[in-house]
Amino acid sequence: MDPMLTFLVILIGMYGLSTSKNIIKSVFSVTIIESGVILLFLNLGNWRGGSIPIINGAADIIADPLPQALMITTIVIGSTVTALALMLCIKVFHHYGTVEWREILRRGEGK
Amino acid sequence: MHFIPVYLIFIPVLTALFLYVVKSRHMNWLALVAQALMTVLLVLYYRAFSGNYEDTMIVLGGWNEWIGISLVNDEISVSFMFLSVFSWWMVLIYTFEKGNTNHNFLFFLMFLQGVFLGLLQTNDLFNMFVFMELITILVTILIAFKKTGDAYRAGLFYLLISKVAMMMFLLSIILVYNSFGTINILLVRDAIAATDSLTVVRFSYALFMVAVMVKSAFVPLYAWLPRAHGVAQSGISALLSGLVVKGGLYLFIRLNQMYEFANLNYTDFFYWIGALTAVVGVMFALSQKDMKQILAYHTISQIGIVMMGLSKLHDPDMFIGGFLHIFNHALFKSLLFLGAGVIISAYRTKKVTDIRGVMRTMPFVSIFMIVGMLSITGAPFFNGFISKAIIKYGVIDSGVRYWILFIVNIGTATSFIKMSQIFFGPKTMTIRIRKPLKNLTLMSLAFACVMLGNFYIPISEGFFGFQVRTIDIGTWANFFDYFLALSIGYVFYRFVIAPDPKAVRYIREHKMTFQQANYLFVVMIIVLLTVFVWW
Amino acid sequence: MIRQGILIVMLLAIFAVFIVSLSDLDQLYQTSADYFREYGAEQTGSNNLVTAILLDYRLFDSLFEAGILLIAVSGIIWISKHDIEEKNARFMLDKFKTPDLFVTFSRLVYPLMLAFGFYIIVNGHVSPGGGFQGGAIVATAILILYYIDAEKETNIGMIVTVEKFLYLTILIIASLSIFTRGTFFTNVFPYDTHGGSNQAIYLVTLNILVGFKVALGLWAIFTAFLKEGR
Repeated sequence: MDPMLTFLVILIGMYGLSTSKNIIKSVFSVTIIESGVILLFLNLGNWRGGSIPIINGAADIIADPLPQALMITTIVIGSTVTALALMLCIKVFHHYGTVEWREILRRGEGK
Repeated sequence: MHFIPVYLIFIPVLTALFLYVVKSRHMNWLALVAQALMTVLLVLYYRAFSGNYEDTMIVLGGWNEWIGISLVNDEISVSFMFLSVFSWWMVLIYTFEKGNTNHNFLFFLMFLQGVFLGLLQTNDLFNMFVFMELITILVTILIAFKKTGDAYRAGLFYLLISKVAMMMFLLSIILVYNSFGTINILLVRDAIAATDSLTVVRFSYALFMVAVMVKSAFVPLYAWLPRAHGVAQSGISALLSGLVVKGGLYLFIRLNQMYEFANLNYTDFFYWIGALTAVVGVMFALSQKDMKQILAYHTISQIGIVMMGLSKLHDPDMFIGGFLHIFNHALFKSLLFLGAGVIISAYRTKKVTDIRGVMRTMPFVSIFMIVGMLSITGAPFFNGFISKAIIKYGVIDSGVRYWILFIVNIGTATSFIKMSQIFFGPKTMTIRIRKPLKNLTLMSLAFACVMLGNFYIPISEGFFGFQVRTIDIGTWANFFDYFLALSIGYVFYRFVIAPDPKAVRYIREHKMTFQQANYLFVVMIIVLLTVFVWW
Repeated sequence: MIRQGILIVMLLAIFAVFIVSLSDLDQLYQTSADYFREYGAEQTGSNNLVTAILLDYRLFDSLFEAGILLIAVSGIIWISKHDIEEKNARFMLDKFKTPDLFVTFSRLVYPLMLAFGFYIIVNGHVSPGGGFQGGAIVATAILILYYIDAEKETNIGMIVTVEKFLYLTILIIASLSIFTRGTFFTNVFPYDTHGGSNQAIYLVTLNILVGFKVALGLWAIFTAFLKEGR
C-alpha cells in the first residue's frame, strides 16, 4: 500500500506542474515530485521489512542500504536545484516585476 | 594506461578548481594546457584500445561489479569523447581572452567538460543520473551567465523541465533496481534478457524514454531549447547545440542497448517521432527572423533527422547515417553559431532582415559561414550530404518516409536561402574588426566539415568501426535531389516566406507556456505507455 | 476545466500502470541488501552500511554529489551579484524585528545544535549519520546566528574559496588509494591488515571534510539569499 501512496504524491506534483501559473508554485511542484520519488525508493527498499542497515551484532534482515545512500545524493541534488531555481525566481522578479509565467513569457517579446 | 578514463574526467575538474582558486591572469593558459594534455591522453587511449574494447571496464574501488560503479568504453563512447574534446578546444579558443580575469566562466566550462566525459563513459544508471543533473545545473548557469531577464527566464524554464524529466529517469532507476537488484547497465541488460518482458520493464523503458525525449528536445517536448540556445552567449550556444544536446541522444543509444532483449518494437515509433521533430523544427525555423533562433530551431530539426537514423538500431546502414549525422551536425552547427556570434557582435543586432553586406565587411567569416550553410543543407562534397545520403539510402524503398526527408531538405534549404540575404548588399561597416582567434576557430571547423565530407570512408572506418564502403553515396540521383531541393526552396522562399504572410507570423509568435509544456509531458508519457505497455 | 479533467484521467492511467507493475515487482523483487549485510562491515570497516556505500562502494557518486553543491554555490553567487539593469529591484530595507524570546532560545540552542552536528559527522561510520547529514545540521546551527544578529556580515568569497580547497582535499584523499590498493576511489588502508581501526581513520577524516564542505556550501547559499533580501 505504501508505494502506491508515495506514487500518488508524484502524481499530485505533476498535476501541480501542469496547472499552476506561478513560478514559485512550479518550483514547489517539482520539489513535491522529488519527495515522492525519494519516498518511493525508500519504501521499496524496505518492502519486505527489516531493521536499520547498521551492523550491531545480530540482525537477520536489514533494510536495503543502497536506496538510502542513493537518496541522500538525490536530496542534496534536489536542494541545490531548488536553491538555484529560487535564486533565478528572485532575479526574474527583479527583471519583470512579476512571478506569473504568462506575464513573464509575454513581456520578453520586445527585448 | 588503464586509468585514462578517470584522468580524462578529473583533469578538467581539477583545472576548473585551480582556475577558480588561484584567480590570476596568467592562469587562463592552464585551461589550454589541460586541454592539450587531455588530447594526448585520449589519443594514447585510442591507440591502446582501438578495435578491442573488451578490457576497458574499470570498477572504481575494485569492488564487485554488481555493487560498484564501473566505467566502460566502446567505439561509440570513444568517438563521442573525441568529438567533445574537439568541441571544447573550439569553444575555448573562441572565447579565449588574454587579460580576462573573470574565471567563473572558465570554471563552469571546464567542469562541464569533465562531467560530460564522465557521462559518456559511465556504466551505472545512478551515476548517469548524477552526471545528467550536474550537466543540467551547469548548463542553467551558463545560460543565465549573461544576466539578462531573457537569460534568467530561459534558464529557469530549462532547469525546471529538465528536473522533472530527470525525476522520471530516477523513478525508472528505482523500478529497474528493485526488479534486478543492480544498476550496472551491462548486468541489467543480461538480466532483462533472462526475464519475459513484464509490465514493470516496459514501464521503466517508457519513463526512461520520456526523460531522454526532454533532454534531447524532441517534439512536443522541445520548448526549452530555442529559448535556451537563443539567449546564451554564442560560444555557449555552439557548445549546447553542437554537443550537450547530443548527451540525450547518447543516452538514447545506451538505454536502447540496455533494453535490447526486452522485445520492444520501438523502431517505427521513434522513426515517426524523429520525422515529426524534423518537420516541426523546420517549420518553426522558417518563420523566425532572429538569427540565433533560426539556428536553434534547426538544431531541433537536425536532431529529428538524427533520430530517424538512430531509430533503426538493428539496421546498421541507417544507424550509421544517424550516428554520422550527430558528428556532422556538431561540426556545422558549431560553425554556424560561432560565425553568427561574430556577425552579431559586429552588427549589434540579431535580426536577419537588418544585417546586410557581410560579404564585403567580413569576407573570411562569410566564406566559413557559407561552408556551414552548404553543409547543413546537404550540398555534395560537404559533410551533411554524406549522412543525409546514408539515411536516405535506408528509406529509399518506402515512399512516404523518403518524401518526409525530402520535405525537410526543402525546408532547410529555404531557411538558409533566407539567411544568406545577410551576405549581399553594400559594405555597411567601415571599422575593421580583427579577431584572429575567432577566425582560426571558424577555419578549423570549416576545414573539418570539408574533410569529413570528402574522406568519410577512412574516417568512419577508423574511428567508429563502421563499414560505409558498400553504400553508394555520390550518385547523380543524390546530386540532382540536392539541386532540386535548392531550387524548390528558392521558389518557396520567394513567393511564400519572403512576403511574411499571416500564417508565418502566427507561427513565429507562438510560444509554449510552462504549463502547456508540462501538460504535453504528461501526454507524452501516456503515448509512450500506449505504445510500449498496452500494445 | 476539460483540460484538467483529461489531465486527471491521464494521471490515473499512469497510476494504473504503476499498480500493475507493482504486482510484477512483487514477483521479481531483488535487492543487494544481502551482499551488504554479509560483506559490508567487513570490507569497509563501517558498521553503518549507508556510510559504507557513500564513502567506499560508491565514492565516485559522492564526489560528484559534493561537486554539485560546489557548482550550485558558485552559480548562485554569480547570479546573485547585482547589475545596474535591474529596474524592478525593490529591496526590503526595513529590518525585520526578531522576537526576544526567539533570540534567547536561539542563543541557548546554538551550541547544542553545533555539538549535535559534530557528533553526527564524527560518528557517521558507527551510528546513523555521516558527512552530508551532519553538515546540514551544522549549517542550520550557523544559520541560527543570523536570528541572533541580523546585521552579521559574512565574507562570502572567503567561504567559497575555503570550500573549493576542501573539495580539492577530498578529491586527493579519495584518490590516494591508487598508491595502496592500485585502484581509485576507495579506502586508503587495505582491509586485510589491521582490521577495522585504520579504516575508521579514513572514514572519519572523509566524513569531517565532507561535513565541513557541505556546511560551508549551505552557509554560502543562505548568505547569498540573505544579501538578496537586504
